Amino acid sequence: MTRINWPDLLFGLFLCVVAAVVLVATRKLSFGSPADMGPGFMPRVLSIGAAGFGLVFVLRSLAIGGEGVEVPKLRPILGVLAAVAVFALLAAKAGLAIAAFTTVVVAGLASRETRLRETVVFAVGLSAAAVILFVLLLDLPVPVWPRF
Amino acid sequence: MDLFDNLLLGLTTALQWQNLLYCLFGVLIGTAIGVLPGIGPIPTVALLLPFTFGLDPSSAFIMLAGIFYGAQYGGSTTAILVNVPGETSSVVTCLDGHQMARQGKAGLALAIAAISSFFAGTVATVVIALLALPLAALALQFTAVEYFSLLVLGLIAAVILAHGSVAKALAMVVLGLLLGIVGIDVSSGASRLTFGIPELGDGLDFVPIAMGLFGLGEIMANLDRPRPRQLVSSRVRDLMPRWAELRQAFPAMVRGTAIGSFLGVLPGGGAALPPFTAYAMEKKLARDPSRFGKGAIEGVAGPEAANNAGAQTSFIPLLTLGIPSNALMALMIGALMMHGIQPGPQIMTEQPQLVWGVVASMWVGNLMLLVINLPLIGIWISMLKIPYRLMFPAIVLFCCIGTYGIANSMFNVWLMLGFALVGYFFVKVKAEPAPLLLGLVLGPQLEENFRRAMLLSDGDFTVFLTHPISAVLLAVVAILLLAMLVPAITRKREQALAE
Repeated sequence: MTRINWPDLLFGLFLCVVAAVVLVATRKLSFGSPADMGPGFMPRVLSIGAAGFGLVFVLRSLAIGGEGVEVPKLRPILGVLAAVAVFALLAAKAGLAIAAFTTVVVAGLASRETRLRETVVFAVGLSAAAVILFVLLLDLPVPVWPRF
Repeated sequence: MDLFDNLLLGLTTALQWQNLLYCLFGVLIGTAIGVLPGIGPIPTVALLLPFTFGLDPSSAFIMLAGIFYGAQYGGSTTAILVNVPGETSSVVTCLDGHQMARQGKAGLALAIAAISSFFAGTVATVVIALLALPLAALALQFTAVEYFSLLVLGLIAAVILAHGSVAKALAMVVLGLLLGIVGIDVSSGASRLTFGIPELGDGLDFVPIAMGLFGLGEIMANLDRPRPRQLVSSRVRDLMPRWAELRQAFPAMVRGTAIGSFLGVLPGGGAALPPFTAYAMEKKLARDPSRFGKGAIEGVAGPEAANNAGAQTSFIPLLTLGIPSNALMALMIGALMMHGIQPGPQIMTEQPQLVWGVVASMWVGNLMLLVINLPLIGIWISMLKIPYRLMFPAIVLFCCIGTYGIANSMFNVWLMLGFALVGYFFVKVKAEPAPLLLGLVLGPQLEENFRRAMLLSDGDFTVFLTHPISAVLLAVVAILLLAMLVPAITRKREQALAE
């Protein structure tokens, strides 16, 4: 598997996908002429540029060879993303106190080094600090406790 | 004497008691996050940005600027004591600074770093004051044609001076420009790439993207690899340097300041390049280069001065031309716009209090750093003892709160989640996200000026070459791009940016 330069290949494919999405999504916008550009001018020019870069990377990755990509570990990714999702779902309804606590605990799960008891204590403190700092002092418009 | 009038106006603004307070708050926060590895000034500025909306714009800016140069300053503390750079800009300080600490001269290294930074900050403040007016006057003659060329130059230069592969960085700029398209087109009213989501009508907010890419993406990548940490437990003593040591360090400070001031003005010069250049120069000039890497005092003084000077002069393109020279300055532009101030050459005449207040506050802030930081060193050391396993959940939480706060919108939090995943992908494929951010911020301006220039010239592309200023700017772009094709220069660049 060392024949292929994986970082370049993946990045190139990513660029091609983005370019394709943009081209499809803006296909109905008028291109116009250089003197009187339509809203579709820039998206098309740029996505063709992105696709060009993408192809170069894909071809180059097959030619220069020799670099693997570290296999992503699921735990950090899922932990951090879940923590953000929990915040987005909870903050407006359950209030910042509960949302902040849950976010910190869930984020803690992302690391193998986390000690649960320590993190829970830390999360209580952090949640209190966040409520005082952001809601009471800086007037962030979220409730502190659940609204019924 | 315009210069003195301006500086005086700046000082009266900066010395108002509430501005002094915001400045102090900014540099303290900045130093704290600078000391902590793993959290940089970009997420911090983004986090505090929403809470500056209630403030006077000059107070808000004084604080945000303080975070930036405070962070440069704090980064070197960690570099010296732990041999881990608190910020990318303090990588070089590790080399000799940490060696000095090992020899029991941690106090001296910290003091020299502080004094060099203060010296550089003072000079850089004057440089900004001197350069700002002529540059702004020049910029007032700019039409859409010159603006377009200048924006292109800014983007290309930022790419070339950044880390990593130039081709990838250029591709990242294109991606950023594409993201900049999202929203309702100003000239035609057509919605572009909004996929029917009403929240996207106003375009993508800058902050969730920055937080996702820089804050969360980095955390996920950091958790992949275990980070070793060794702490210097020796107490820090002997803070005051002796006269002979100061004399030895002074020439390096002067040279570092000159290099930093120059490189900071260049687009993309920002914070990473000046210290490397200064270190290389000190090593070359030294009578006995073998001392470097073993605790040479010049190896701390030069890069630290360059670092701080560069951090400050990188405000020049922002304040005079409205063009950010690095990702953090791009965030500052976003901040200006959120305060209802259109960045650009007119900002000097329309908001003199803001511009000169910020410039003067930099000097005031540097003085504060010099005075307060050394006594507070014990606090910074104890902060370094917070383990990463506790720090990163806190960063995740603050990113969530900050992103929500920017527009009180949960949609932005979901957007950040998406970009966190993209940011992780970028780390894995070794693509530096900073150019994307510049593209995103400059994209709308680039398109608007291009359209206007084309409209004025009736679709004639040669207009960019027949306007003299624009032709010069584009010639520089061409030279920069061609230079990248010359293998010898590419190798030099890799050497300079290595480590």
